[in-house]
Amino acid sequence: MAHLHRPEQKQPEADLTRVYDAIVVGSGAAGGMAAHALTARGLQVLLLEAGKKLDIESELKSMEWPYDHTRRGLMPPDRHAISFNEYTIRQPPYAKDSPYAKVHSYVQGWGGSDYSKNIVVDEKEHPYTGTGYAWVRARCLGGKTNIWGRLALRLSDYDFKAKTHDGYGEDWPISYADLAPYYDKVDLYLGIAGVKENLPHLPDSIFQRPTRLNPAEVKVRNSLLRSGRVLTPYRAGVTTDGLKHNKYRSRCFGRGACSRRSGGCDIHAAFDSPTGLIYPANDTGRLSMRTNATVREVTVDPDTGKARGVAFLDSETGQSYEARAKVVVIAASTLESARILLLSKSRQHPNGIGNSSGHVGHNFCEHVMGPGARGFVKELVGKPRTLDDGRPGSFYIPRFRNLKDRHPKFIRGYGFEGGSGTGMVPGDSVESPGFGASYKKKVRDEAGAYIDMGGFGEVLARYENHVDLDPAVKDRWGIPVLRFHYKFGDNEKAMCEDMAESAKELLEEAGIEVVHVNKRVLTEGWSIHELGTARMGNDPRTSVLNQHQQSHDVKNLFVVDGSSHVSASCQNPTWTIMALCWRSSDYLADELGRGNL
Amino acid sequence: MTEKISRRELLQLGVGATLAAPLAGLAPAAASAAPAISVGLFSGATEMALLDELTEMIIPADAQSGGARAAGVVPFLDRRLAERDSKIPDYAEERKRWKDGLLRVDEVAREMHGKAFLETAPEQRLAVLTRMARNEKDPKASEERFFGELKKATAGIYYTSKVGIHDDVQYKGNTLLTEFVGEDVSSK
Repeated sequence: MAHLHRPEQKQPEADLTRVYDAIVVGSGAAGGMAAHALTARGLQVLLLEAGKKLDIESELKSMEWPYDHTRRGLMPPDRHAISFNEYTIRQPPYAKDSPYAKVHSYVQGWGGSDYSKNIVVDEKEHPYTGTGYAWVRARCLGGKTNIWGRLALRLSDYDFKAKTHDGYGEDWPISYADLAPYYDKVDLYLGIAGVKENLPHLPDSIFQRPTRLNPAEVKVRNSLLRSGRVLTPYRAGVTTDGLKHNKYRSRCFGRGACSRRSGGCDIHAAFDSPTGLIYPANDTGRLSMRTNATVREVTVDPDTGKARGVAFLDSETGQSYEARAKVVVIAASTLESARILLLSKSRQHPNGIGNSSGHVGHNFCEHVMGPGARGFVKELVGKPRTLDDGRPGSFYIPRFRNLKDRHPKFIRGYGFEGGSGTGMVPGDSVESPGFGASYKKKVRDEAGAYIDMGGFGEVLARYENHVDLDPAVKDRWGIPVLRFHYKFGDNEKAMCEDMAESAKELLEEAGIEVVHVNKRVLTEGWSIHELGTARMGNDPRTSVLNQHQQSHDVKNLFVVDGSSHVSASCQNPTWTIMALCWRSSDYLADELGRGNL
Repeated sequence: MTEKISRRELLQLGVGATLAAPLAGLAPAAASAAPAISVGLFSGATEMALLDELTEMIIPADAQSGGARAAGVVPFLDRRLAERDSKIPDYAEERKRWKDGLLRVDEVAREMHGKAFLETAPEQRLAVLTRMARNEKDPKASEERFFGELKKATAGIYYTSKVGIHDDVQYKGNTLLTEFVGEDVSSK
C-alpha cells in the first residue's frame, strides 16, 4: 500500500486581528469544498469547525477484526445509541434524563460503533426539541464525511426542473447544463467509481475503475434490463485508481470496512473532507483553520447591514471571539446553517440574517427510507465460499417511477440501495430458526445466498415542514437549539407502499424467492440527507439564496451546503452539494475580484 | 454479588491471573473442548456451566468447526453482563432476565424430567431446549422468550469470533485486493 502523507499536526492559528477574504463555517463536504475552491482561486480563507480534529486513522482502525476488540467493536457500556423504538415512542430531546454517560444517535447502534463514537455528537450536549427526528450530527474536522455512505450520484433535470415536469413545488434556478461542468470537476478531483449507464435521470460521472457485481446482483440486473430498468454497481465516492494530485489518499484496496461499519476509511480511498479537500487547501498556504470554534452568529456591519464576520465560542473554554472577513460562507450542514442564520438577529435583520423572505428553516426536505425486500437465491446455497464484500458498496437501482409514466398514487421517485453475498458475519444467524447442528449448517450454507434492498425516496419540500429556534432550551454552550416541526406526508406514505411492492416484484421477476418484505418506514431523519432550509430561487420573496447560493438580502453572505437545495430529489446529495459549492465559490471569487461584494 | 464485585476488583488490580480462567475464552485459541469453567464475573459456577451447555447445544462443534465452547461464547457473554452497570435500568433488567432465564431452564427440566437441567441425560436436555425453542417466531412463555435472548447472544458472539468467522463461515474478506471480485458489467 502506498505510503500516505499525514498533514503537519500544527495548523496555522486563526489571526483574529485581520480581515480574511472569506470565513467558511463548517468543514464537511460543503465547507471543505469552499476551502478548496476559494484557496485555489487565491483567496485567504479562515475555516472554522465546531468540533475537534481527530486522529482519525486511530479512530477508524478499518481492518481490526471483531475478536481483536474487547467488545467486538461495540461502544463501552456507559454509552447508548437511541433505538428506532425510542425515536418512535419518545419526543426530543431524547437524551434528557438518560442514565447513560453519553447518548448518541441511532448509527451508533450499528456494528463497529466503537470506531465512530468520537465522530458523532453526544446528544446530551446537543439537544433539540419538537417533533420526532433522528438527527445524526458529526462535530469534528470533516463532519459526516468521515463516515458517509459514499453513494455519489448526480441529479438531472428531472430533479432541477421537477415542477415543470409534474407541477409541484419549485424548479431550481439552475439546470443540469449549469452544474455538469462542476460535477465533472468533482469527479476528477475526488475520484468516483461506477459504470456508465446512459440514463437521462441519473447522469453518468467520469468514472474510475468500477466495482463488480455478485451473482445474485447480475441476475437482477439482467432481469431488470428486460423491462428497461437498471441495477448498477454502487457509484462510490471512492478513488479506485488513486489520485496523482493528492498525497493524503490511497486508492481503494477492496477491504470493505466502509460497508461493514457506519463508514470511514483509514486510508482515505473513500472521500472525506479533510484528506480530499482541507489538507490540500492548507498546502496552498492560504488556509487558516480553527477547530473547537462554535459559530453562534454572523456579525453585521451596523452601517451597511452586510456581514462583518462571525461570533464564535471556543468549544472547550466557552470564551467568545469574533473573526472578520469580506465574505462569510456558511456550510455548517442543512439544519445547523439554518440555525446560525436564525440566531443572527440584528437591527437590520430582525428575523435572522438573510431571512427577509421568512423562508429560512422552511421547505425542509430529505429522503424517506426503509421499505424493501429480501430475496433468497437457492442456487447459491452451499456453494464454495467467495469473497463478496471487498468493495466500497454493492449496488444501486436508480429511480424508475414517474419518468415517462405517471404513478396514480404519488409523484417523484425512489431508488434502491442493496447488497448481497457473504459478509463477515452471516446476516441470517439470528433469524434462521432452531438450534443445533442443522441450524449451524443452514447458517453456513446460506450465508452467501441472500440479496437485500431498501428504498430511498424523495420527500416533497413543503413550507410547513420547518425548524425554528426553541425559545427556552439551550445547548451545552448556552445557544438556543432547533425545534422541529416536521412530518412525512401522504405522498411519502404512498411512495413507501410502492417501494415495498416493487422491491418484491423485481426480485420475483428475476426468479428470486422473496423471504421478507419490509414495509417499515424509518423515522424522519433516518437517511441523514436533510436538505432545503435556505433554498435557492430567483424570487427573493420565496427563496433565501440566488442560484449562486448567495443571500438575496446580504450580498457578502453565502450558504453553500444542502440547505440551498430546492427539492430533495431521490439521489444522495453529497456530490451535488460539492458541485454546487464549487460553482458558487468560483462566482464568489469572481465577484470579490470585481469589487461587487 | 459481593463475591463478584471483589473478584472484579481483584482482576482490575492485576491479581486475576489465576482467577481469570474463564477469560481465556476471549483468546479463542486458548479455549478447548474441555473447558475449565468455574465462577464467572457475573455468573456463578452453576450458571456458567449451564450457559456453557446451552450455548454449545445451540451452536455445537461439528466436522467443519468448533462450537460455542471453542469460540469462548460464555466467558465473553459473562464479562459483557458483568460490565453492564446495574445502576442503569436497562442493564439491571437484562441481568435479571439472564438470572431468571437460567432458573427457568432448571424449572422446565424439573417439570419435564424431575431433575435440574445439567443432571438430565443428553436426550432429555434436547427435549428441554426443543420445548424452549418451540414458538421462536412468537415466543410467549418466559422460557420461550429466554431462548430468543440466549440464541441471539450465542449467535452474535459466535459469529464474531475467530472460530465463527474463519473456521465456520470461512469468510474471505477484510484483505487487500488489487482488483475487485465479481462480474465486471462495465462493457455490457
